[in-house]
Amino acid sequence: VRELPPLAAIAVPEPKPDPLYTAPCFDREITFRGLKRLLGAADYSKAGDRHAGLAAAGETEREAARAALSGLTLQHLYDHPLTDDEGKVDSVMRVNYDIDRATFASVAGLTLGELKDHLLRAPGEEVARLGRGLTGVMAAALAKLCDVHELILVARKVTRTSRARTLLGAPGTLSSRLQPNSPTDDPRCITLLCYWGLSLGAGDALLGLNPAVDTVENVSAMLRLLDRVRRHTGAPTQVCVLAHVKTQLACLERGAPVEVLFQSLAGTEKTNLSEFDITVDLLDHGYRTMAAKGPLRGVAEQFMYFETGQGSEVSYGKHNGIDMTTTEALCYGLARRYDPFMVNNVTGFIGPETHLDSFEMILANLQDHFMGKLLGLPMGMAPCYTLHSNITLEGQQIATQLLAAAGANYYMDVALNTDRMLAYFDTSGHDDQTLREVQGRLPAPEFLEWGLGRGIFARDGRGAVVRGPHWGDPRQFCEPEAEFGELLAATPAAYGFESAGPRPSNAVSRQVRMNQGVGREAIHAELRVEELQRVAPFRLVETEAHSKEAHLASPDRGARLAAQSLAWLAPEHRPVQILISDGLSAEAVHHNVKDLLPVLLDGLAGRGIETGQPLLARYGRVKLAEPLAERLDADLVVHLIGERPGGDALASRSLSAYLVYRLTDVEAQRAAARFSGHAGIRFEYTVISNIYAGGLPPAEAAGVIVERVADILAAKAAGNRLEAVDRRNGPARGRREVEAAGR
Amino acid sequence: MSETVQLVGLDFGITTSSAVVASARLHRAAPTGRVELREVRERYRSPLVLTPLDADDHLDLPRLEAHLDAWLAAGDVRPAEVFGGGALLTGLTAKQANAAALVSLVRRRLGGALIATADDPCLESWLAFLGSCGGLSRAHPHQLILNLDIGGGTTNLALGKAGEVLRTGCLFVGARHIQVGPGGYRLVKLSRQARALLDHLGVRKGPGDWLTVAEVEAVLAFYLGLLQAAAAGEPGPFEAAVARLHEQVPFRLPAGVGDLAVTFSGGVGELIYAHLQGQPWPPTTHFGDLGIDLARRLVGSPAWSGHLRRFQLASAGRATVYGLLRHSTEVSGSTLFLPRPEVLPLVDVPILGSLGPASSAEQVRNLVGLVRCSARGGCLRVAVGGQGAEAVRGLGATIARALRETSFPADRPLVLLVQENLGKVLGHYVTQWGALPVEVVVIDEVTLRDAQYAHLGAPRGPVVPVSFYGLNEQGDVP
Repeated sequence: VRELPPLAAIAVPEPKPDPLYTAPCFDREITFRGLKRLLGAADYSKAGDRHAGLAAAGETEREAARAALSGLTLQHLYDHPLTDDEGKVDSVMRVNYDIDRATFASVAGLTLGELKDHLLRAPGEEVARLGRGLTGVMAAALAKLCDVHELILVARKVTRTSRARTLLGAPGTLSSRLQPNSPTDDPRCITLLCYWGLSLGAGDALLGLNPAVDTVENVSAMLRLLDRVRRHTGAPTQVCVLAHVKTQLACLERGAPVEVLFQSLAGTEKTNLSEFDITVDLLDHGYRTMAAKGPLRGVAEQFMYFETGQGSEVSYGKHNGIDMTTTEALCYGLARRYDPFMVNNVTGFIGPETHLDSFEMILANLQDHFMGKLLGLPMGMAPCYTLHSNITLEGQQIATQLLAAAGANYYMDVALNTDRMLAYFDTSGHDDQTLREVQGRLPAPEFLEWGLGRGIFARDGRGAVVRGPHWGDPRQFCEPEAEFGELLAATPAAYGFESAGPRPSNAVSRQVRMNQGVGREAIHAELRVEELQRVAPFRLVETEAHSKEAHLASPDRGARLAAQSLAWLAPEHRPVQILISDGLSAEAVHHNVKDLLPVLLDGLAGRGIETGQPLLARYGRVKLAEPLAERLDADLVVHLIGERPGGDALASRSLSAYLVYRLTDVEAQRAAARFSGHAGIRFEYTVISNIYAGGLPPAEAAGVIVERVADILAAKAAGNRLEAVDRRNGPARGRREVEAAGR
Repeated sequence: MSETVQLVGLDFGITTSSAVVASARLHRAAPTGRVELREVRERYRSPLVLTPLDADDHLDLPRLEAHLDAWLAAGDVRPAEVFGGGALLTGLTAKQANAAALVSLVRRRLGGALIATADDPCLESWLAFLGSCGGLSRAHPHQLILNLDIGGGTTNLALGKAGEVLRTGCLFVGARHIQVGPGGYRLVKLSRQARALLDHLGVRKGPGDWLTVAEVEAVLAFYLGLLQAAAAGEPGPFEAAVARLHEQVPFRLPAGVGDLAVTFSGGVGELIYAHLQGQPWPPTTHFGDLGIDLARRLVGSPAWSGHLRRFQLASAGRATVYGLLRHSTEVSGSTLFLPRPEVLPLVDVPILGSLGPASSAEQVRNLVGLVRCSARGGCLRVAVGGQGAEAVRGLGATIARALRETSFPADRPLVLLVQENLGKVLGHYVTQWGALPVEVVVIDEVTLRDAQYAHLGAPRGPVVPVSFYGLNEQGDVP
């Protein structure tokens, strides 16, 4: 167990004024003010950095920045810690300075260009040794100087193993984390996805579930479920439920099998504190608790698991002016403090606001892997995408092949690439096996033995490991067979188990891809205003997103009313207004509004609730309801908006109703402030989601919305506060759609 | 939501009776948002007891009451926590003169928590299918499966696909029509059907006489002939008078069903599968009836042996009680129209008809009139089909008009059972968004069964348990 040095004991140089960096560029010189600006400009252009104003304007500027960066010594980088917006060194940066000082001293005088050449020439052991003397910023700077071959070559030299029940990262291996996510934490769905993944030879790194509900009770139940699956199948692996670290520690206290402690990390203290609700002290506490009480103590050499990915700091607007690659490297510097069992990189998960297309995602992943390995981490890679970015499955697959060439320790197994809860797309168990066969890799040795024993793997006549007779057959774990039917019935997007070699059969692939196609089209479809005008005479309002591209790339623009709309809208003083916008699926609007809106208008009128003429916005986001409520002086806006499509074609037509309650009543505002702990709170939200033919049908949803609106206006409360009022007083008479917001 | 509830299944057969108690969680399931019963875990399984009969061969109610109380105590059954399940008097038990008294006894013990009914052969067939091979059927969704639940008095047939029962029937073919002394074939008692069968076979024997091996074989051949005719969809053998006497609910296999798998459940089914798994047959007529002989003949018959080895069931012997436990109660949708939850439970509500968007105003008025005349109120089945909001709006307005025109009493429950997830909106239109003072309840996302009665339990969170009895199902086979 590692002794964690107190933060105050980690020496960091005092921040200094931003130096000017100048690089010649044929007939001119380009100057960059400050190291943050230089690092941003030296990177490949990526959407998040562009939106944050950190990317170079063009290739010449980028190369000039790289030239300037190449000439800086490591000592210079050491002497210029990057600060937060207040000019201070935050806790994440401080932890990054917890380096092997002697190693650093041995290279401090080298320029970054010289160090890069040295790393390319050096054997793996030397690269691994030097990494322990580098901060995250230094690793990020190196990554920006490397091309694709160099990112792969240097990373491949380094072996970073970790051990729990299985040994990960040994040369010649390629492992996987099985991610059996269910939209509702349905144990049958989770069990089937585990069986399926294990039958594909996946899951030797972890059975790791993202819970739909982050409560101690639920997370404990999920941990026990995964533990039962592990014991039932006999698979040598470990289990984890990726809840907040506080929840997991509470589960551990209650005796749940928290074998590996998970937490998402960001590269700035501000993001960690306000978005992830973590501090270095909390992580220290988690590490020490696991060391003392973790069920795998004495077996595992490591027991922490971190997830990171470029862009979270930028997307939350808490990046301190630091580019995405560098903040990502700072995450690694933080993760390194805890000698983790796994670090999982999910760059691509956020969306086009950080990584617009396959090229940006692939390069970012290669950078991340390079930096993580260099800094000493057992890197697993999850190159992934959402349908509202321009990243495609092909781009994601190219990334996995390149990362496998670079020697990533493990990948994800998300069945048929489709995460059933998080509505994104990641590596599958079929992909993992394909990569193993293409790249000549094997699962972790303990898991391989188990797989050979079960016939999931076999040895051919020459002793080589091949797919066995039971590879890909989840039924092998079901006793009796009837159980399989029960599991299957509860599992969405299970299109079939037939395979062709290590791949899903063509019929299965076609269905997966068709569903993605439908989802992507739903996102890129434009609102058919004329058709909608036949449902009701809408008033059209505009947002600050003037194109689909701007809408997808900049979520904040769609949340603001355009100046011309603000100009003609005026206070109407009606209690309720209805707003419809495309959000991330215009098709959701097209398919649901026809049945929903007339019933909604009937119902509100029937209840005597006055509404204005409905409004229709193209390129809208959820929070557009706020400026609208203020402008029209409404108490509540019913905002009907298309949800982000996932892997299921029907669900791509799913609408949400956000009932946005404006806290104009002084008493209500005070109560809301007390309830939320947020003194300045101005709005409360009740959400009714999953409105589509296969979920809550639109006409029925309208009935639910009417009752909710009446309840909110009567209680002068929405969201969790309304639920609390209901629990105290009983639900309002006439309402039986309890938990609609949780659907 | 995630609430723990209890389920109780009570099966009173002519040979044996038993109880199973389970716990389950009500959990919001798949992406549809449906609430389902999950993690059904058996907490108590009573021993199989011989159903006690008194000197007059009636149900021995005091001893049955003692059994029932012992089971409920051992299973830690708390009536307020019982969400569903059922009590069923099956086969010949239901024909006993004092069967109704046993039903009343169960209702007194468990209140409105579950259905208790007798002489409901199609319900029995349906439950036996779901209790024995429902999971198997879901695992092989393209395979038609015919389940024969052979008990003491009846063979309950159910044809199903993908976990859904499509068609049911019932024959008076069972182990206990001819009761004999254990170890041989000395007649002890004959049912009405058995006496007619022996007459038909020219066997003039009664209690105290010994049947010859040939006579036993002739009886078994007749039984197998009927079973085989039913499974093959041949109506011919049922035209004989003696065969008609053995047919309680005709089962007609549709023509051209193609590949059909047959499974067995009930006491005889259990004997068959135990033997196939290597257990020795019990001694001759060990149970004092022809059940073992019937099982042996089925195993030995070339017509059945292929079926027997194709799918083998794990809990065939208690199919009905497991069916009762897990399948007799449906969970409603979670967006209901239930302005006054305290109106529930509603037990023994007669189902008086069906309506839909195509129903004329007069048809709707007539049906509403029927409910108006029923002191207990009544249920109407509503199928909206794939039609949208306009259809719901129109139907709601038509029902509202009928309620006005019939001066529907404000305190009489009108329960609308809707297949689609449209309960709340339909209820709002029927009551004109609260303007019409009527006791309307709309329960949605339930299967519209062709049954005589519905049983609506008390609400649990957003959902209501719904059961049907008096089943009369003859569905279409795809």
